[in-house]
Amino acid sequence: MSASRILVVDDEPQIRRVMRTTLAARGYEVEDARSGEDALEKLRAGRYDLVLLDINMPGIGGVEACRTIRQERHGLEPAIIMLTVRSAENDKVEALDAGADDYVTKPFSTPELLARIRAALRRMPLTGLERPRINLEDVEIDFGARRVKRPGGEVRLTPKEFDLLHYFVAHPNKALSHRELLQAVWGPDYGDELEYLRVFINQLRKKIEPQPAKPRYLLTEPWVGYRFHLPQQD
Amino acid sequence: MSFLLRLLAALALVVATTFVCFHLIPVNATTVALGYLVGVLLIATAWGFWEAFAASLAAVVCFNFFFLPPVGTFHIADPQNWVALLAFLATSVVASRLSARARQRTQEALHRQKEMESLYALSRAVLLTDTRQAPAAQIAHRIQEIFEFAALALYDCSTGEVHHSGKEELPVPDDQLKQAASLGIVLIDEVNRTVVIPVRLGGRIIGSLAVRGGALSDTALQALSNLVAIALERVRSQEAAYRAEAARQSEELKSTLLDSIAHEFKTPLTSIKAAASALLCTPAPNQEEQRELLTVVDEEADRLGRLVTEAIQMARIEAGKIRLNPELCSVESLIQGILKQMKSVVEGRSTTLSIAADMPLIIADKELLGLAIRQLLDNAVKYSPPRSPIVISGEKTEGSVIISVRDQGPGIPEREQSRIFQKFYRRADTPRHVTGSGMGLAISLEIVRAHGGEIWVESVPGQGSKFCISVPRVSEAMTA
Repeated sequence: MSASRILVVDDEPQIRRVMRTTLAARGYEVEDARSGEDALEKLRAGRYDLVLLDINMPGIGGVEACRTIRQERHGLEPAIIMLTVRSAENDKVEALDAGADDYVTKPFSTPELLARIRAALRRMPLTGLERPRINLEDVEIDFGARRVKRPGGEVRLTPKEFDLLHYFVAHPNKALSHRELLQAVWGPDYGDELEYLRVFINQLRKKIEPQPAKPRYLLTEPWVGYRFHLPQQD
Repeated sequence: MSFLLRLLAALALVVATTFVCFHLIPVNATTVALGYLVGVLLIATAWGFWEAFAASLAAVVCFNFFFLPPVGTFHIADPQNWVALLAFLATSVVASRLSARARQRTQEALHRQKEMESLYALSRAVLLTDTRQAPAAQIAHRIQEIFEFAALALYDCSTGEVHHSGKEELPVPDDQLKQAASLGIVLIDEVNRTVVIPVRLGGRIIGSLAVRGGALSDTALQALSNLVAIALERVRSQEAAYRAEAARQSEELKSTLLDSIAHEFKTPLTSIKAAASALLCTPAPNQEEQRELLTVVDEEADRLGRLVTEAIQMARIEAGKIRLNPELCSVESLIQGILKQMKSVVEGRSTTLSIAADMPLIIADKELLGLAIRQLLDNAVKYSPPRSPIVISGEKTEGSVIISVRDQGPGIPEREQSRIFQKFYRRADTPRHVTGSGMGLAISLEIVRAHGGEIWVESVPGQGSKFCISVPRVSEAMTA
């Protein structure tokens, strides 16, 4: 298996230096960029598995850069971890809303960041599904190709969104607790990040539900978690 | 016109009527009586009852003498004429009484109206009181202007001050005003035409008002005192609101400042934490990795140290405790030193240093002047596009040395150029990612002034900014 490629985007040179050194020592292939514009250029030119993105940068900020990365096509979707100095709740939600898979608050400890990177790079094995493809009315979800088709065209899901949807489809018509979902999709170190689920479920509803405000498949189980309603398929 | 004069004029009118009717136009007695009656009514309407009464008596005498037979005597032959004469007297007295009363009513109404207008004018003036200047003095002055009192004094309990206004001297000592306020009593001095009344707000006495002259009714005086109370209270509550607002703003400022300082400190802290924790979690780091990470820790610890020193210096300068530690130094080595310290800040940019040849030495506090120049350089980096060049230059003029930092940022509009040196001033269009305390340029200004120099900006919007610091040159004799 080839080494994962990571792009470190931060305007602070010393952070880039530390990240380059540490990540390279752990076998990752590392490149860096000192601004959002730089990062977008590099992403257009090459394939990366993960982007470590500072939120507070001159020029287009991290949030804007993240949004652009998610809109553009770069072959396989990279995982994105945002680095933020502020721990304000709306900053986190803003980052996740923009399409980040996770975020880390500065100052962070390297082992913690490494764990987050591993979790973000983790892809759920696409096994255990009876059908590699399901249809929800007009929406066709193809797990083999990691693709979602709607009447308007193809909808793009980020890796974590796809994993989450995958887990739901593998455990249909059953209430799944927040903790179970977080641990299954993000990893065993997670479990209390309810805002992650809130944001990701919202995104998924927008992408697969006919009426996102009145979900028919991704249902909220009050106080418990969520339940995926899978209609009987022929 | 005095009463006596009016009396004579009234009598003259009666004589004139008699003359006209007796000599010029011969008429019968009834017409004469009606003529007198008209005259008396006119006098009553114009002047008042007593003038009209005197005219009535004179008219009765003249009527009897000149027109009732036998003419030329006071004797009345026909008893019916007695009745006519008495009827005339009664009619004219009653009519003058009534018309004088109507006149008096009208005058009172006019007086009331004037009082009301004055009170209204005062209530409007009170709303325009400028709260930044002594409000009680302004109120006293306004009352005097509007009501035209000869003299006036207003005592404000909360400040303990007495404010005088008016052209004449007020024959009321300040103590009497205070007494009226403390006891809540009305003092009236008929001889000097002065009145002292307490100023009450609700049941509470908040001052007293003394006026001389002017003819205010009791009601109007009471209304005036109520208005004064409202005016004083309004100013007071407005002041309280201002104070609360100022406190809130200063709190907000402090928290913004704290936020931005926290951010400045967190940047090196993040690098140190990341590098140190990486070292700790690696059981056997290779030598190169170890060295790289330790270098970052070392450099960033220095940066943190510098930030702490700067914060302390800023606090000291903020408190007005700037103390120079002057020494002879060269501009070039000063700037070289700064560039070395700021290596990671200006990273990725071309920085051009252009120092004139034979630059004279300057006497400066290296650390503080360095701090001032670092602020300029820091701003140039923050406010210009990521890879745009920065030019630092040193020139000399007749009496001073000028150090300048030029960037290719958006420039600063002229109206903002003086304001950016004010404490906490931040431009409204400051980009979100630019952090700062709003203190940088204010600190630079203090430092440069302490050196006897000046700081200014030359900028045209769209064409970048050039910040300049001038420091006086050392005389040749001193460097020799």
